[in-house]
Amino acid sequence: MNDCLLCEQKIASVPSWKALLALEKQTAICQDCSKKFQRADIKEEDKLLDQVTSLYTYNEAMREYLHQFKFLQDVALASVFANELRTLLKGDPTIVPIPMHPEKRIERTFAPVDELLKSARLPFTHLLEKTGMEAMGEKSKEQRLAVKPLFRLKPGTSVQPSTYILLDDIYTTGTTLRHAATVLKEAGATRVEAVTLIRAER
Amino acid sequence: MVGLNEEVNKIRNGVLRMANTFDPSVRDFLAGRIWLRLHTPFPIETIDAHIQSQHIKTIPGIKTTKTYANQTRHICNRCENTIQSRFTTFDCAKCEGPCTYCRHCLKMGRVSTCTELIVWNAEQPIYPTNHTLAWQGILTPRQQQASNELTESNTKRIPHLIHAVCGSGKTEILFEPIHKLLLAGKRVCIAAPRVDVILELEPRLRAAFPETAIEALYGGAETTTDSAQLILATTHQLYRFRHAFDAIFVDEADAFPYTAEETLRRAVRKAAKPEAPVHFVTATPSDKLLNEIKKTGQISTINRRYHGHPLPIPRYDSLWNYTKHIQKGKLPKKLNNWTEERLRRKEPFLIFFHHIGLMEQAELLFKQLDTRIHAVHASHPDRKEHVQALRNKEVPGLLTTTILERGITIPNVQVAVVGAEQLIFNKGALIQIGGRVGRSEQHPSGDFVLFHHGITYAMDDAKKEIIQLNKGGVPN
Repeated sequence: MNDCLLCEQKIASVPSWKALLALEKQTAICQDCSKKFQRADIKEEDKLLDQVTSLYTYNEAMREYLHQFKFLQDVALASVFANELRTLLKGDPTIVPIPMHPEKRIERTFAPVDELLKSARLPFTHLLEKTGMEAMGEKSKEQRLAVKPLFRLKPGTSVQPSTYILLDDIYTTGTTLRHAATVLKEAGATRVEAVTLIRAER
Repeated sequence: MVGLNEEVNKIRNGVLRMANTFDPSVRDFLAGRIWLRLHTPFPIETIDAHIQSQHIKTIPGIKTTKTYANQTRHICNRCENTIQSRFTTFDCAKCEGPCTYCRHCLKMGRVSTCTELIVWNAEQPIYPTNHTLAWQGILTPRQQQASNELTESNTKRIPHLIHAVCGSGKTEILFEPIHKLLLAGKRVCIAAPRVDVILELEPRLRAAFPETAIEALYGGAETTTDSAQLILATTHQLYRFRHAFDAIFVDEADAFPYTAEETLRRAVRKAAKPEAPVHFVTATPSDKLLNEIKKTGQISTINRRYHGHPLPIPRYDSLWNYTKHIQKGKLPKKLNNWTEERLRRKEPFLIFFHHIGLMEQAELLFKQLDTRIHAVHASHPDRKEHVQALRNKEVPGLLTTTILERGITIPNVQVAVVGAEQLIFNKGALIQIGGRVGRSEQHPSGDFVLFHHGITYAMDDAKKEIIQLNKGGVPN
């Protein structure tokens, strides 16, 4: 029995055969808290991205979650969506997390997207690196479309002619993901998909 | 002899030179506080310079030790949390190694292994000794006696428990002892587990001590660089104090989460200077607290309200299957009648619920009786406004969880508990809830009804204790 990572209440366990046989997955948050996240389950295609999957909407609960995870730096919250990401992403294609600028990463002490994957016990490869320090969230739509390339291939890495899955926390206009996909495709990737935890309203 | 004098002078000059270089506003702010090095209201360079001149000492955020079984054990140096499940270790990009942080006090800015905390390490500020007590009221003989006893405990530096029934004027008892401490240039803190209590206390204390620097600290309050002599704070805020106060008064000492959390208890102890007494004020002390104080300190008991009228005795009324009724969208008849009666007689009312979900379902049904009826709970965005509206008679009544069980005074308020048999309504909670009724001299009584689905021992115990107190007995 563990405490919910979000509301700190004891997680009430429902007695079941599965639980008795230890087959049930340990959950990091309680039922009440998980109900507050609203599913989006968006799956769509795009010119540059062969498939974009987004799991949740950006509602109040999700805003609070991101705030605590990224800005209050509560690394433990990476495990909230671990089970789900694992079910969705485990398999063959190489997972490429959207990178953070190294200085920004030191400032925050961790890279949220990497932690999501680590917590889900999913292998990943950093193929990209950030060219500048700017964050997308601070720009207007026009500015976002006009920016120079955001990413370049990380020196010493190679891209195979196969499928890659990009992972990011939030999809707003998709600019970040399209920039990343462009770099991978130009380097020889045949198919680039993307998964984001959240889909924000434009 | 001359040589020794020279040595002394040299040291004194050295100390003086050091002492001359600090910024008094930094001292005033940091004295008694334990703060994140990188998140002070001052520029980082200023803090760095003070660390360099040793006016400020740095402390690592998390202390990690090994137990005999070679297991690691973490302690948070800010909140003194030792519950190991409340720590998380991760690969830190900043210190490039495993780094542990405390989740317990996370909301005040993360404290991790590679975070530095700072404390003031030089001479303490001197607090003013000119204060006036503007409160004009007169204490009852019992209140006066308790007040004197409390002052006595302060001189002896022993903990004191004011065990006084709800509505006996506990806050007023504190005025004189606090005034005496302030006159002696002492720093004083009144801590309460709940924001509501602090919000209610703040204007009363500002009125009582018009010349004293007073600061109220609670989650969401604006941070200033002030360093008030008299501080009102939620117990959580005390995490950020260390050896600050010459006396701490813990108001509503038994309220959740104070009794529930060992960490908070340690935080109160840490915020007081090592020799300083920690006093408690409550209507419903736990057995543990009573026993503790009996051993080490003094207890003053007051079993009469300030207006001399007895405490309202709870009335039982069955409300079978109320959950089912409400979930089906029907307000139980008795509850409906009770509310309509209050509305007709224009009496303000509070209806307590044990569960937020059920309360919100019921809110819709109550709104059919009067659209101005609202529900409030701990994380309700308009909680403060709704309670104020009830005080201003803009709303006829509120539905509430146990957050409003204590510390609030609304003249002529009538109280109902829906589901009094629920575990959350223990003896202490029921006595506190009943304590809302009949607090003012003009309306010294009122209805206190426990709507229940079965009678519990807690209900009987609460009723018994209230009757005993009314008879003039001292509860055990």
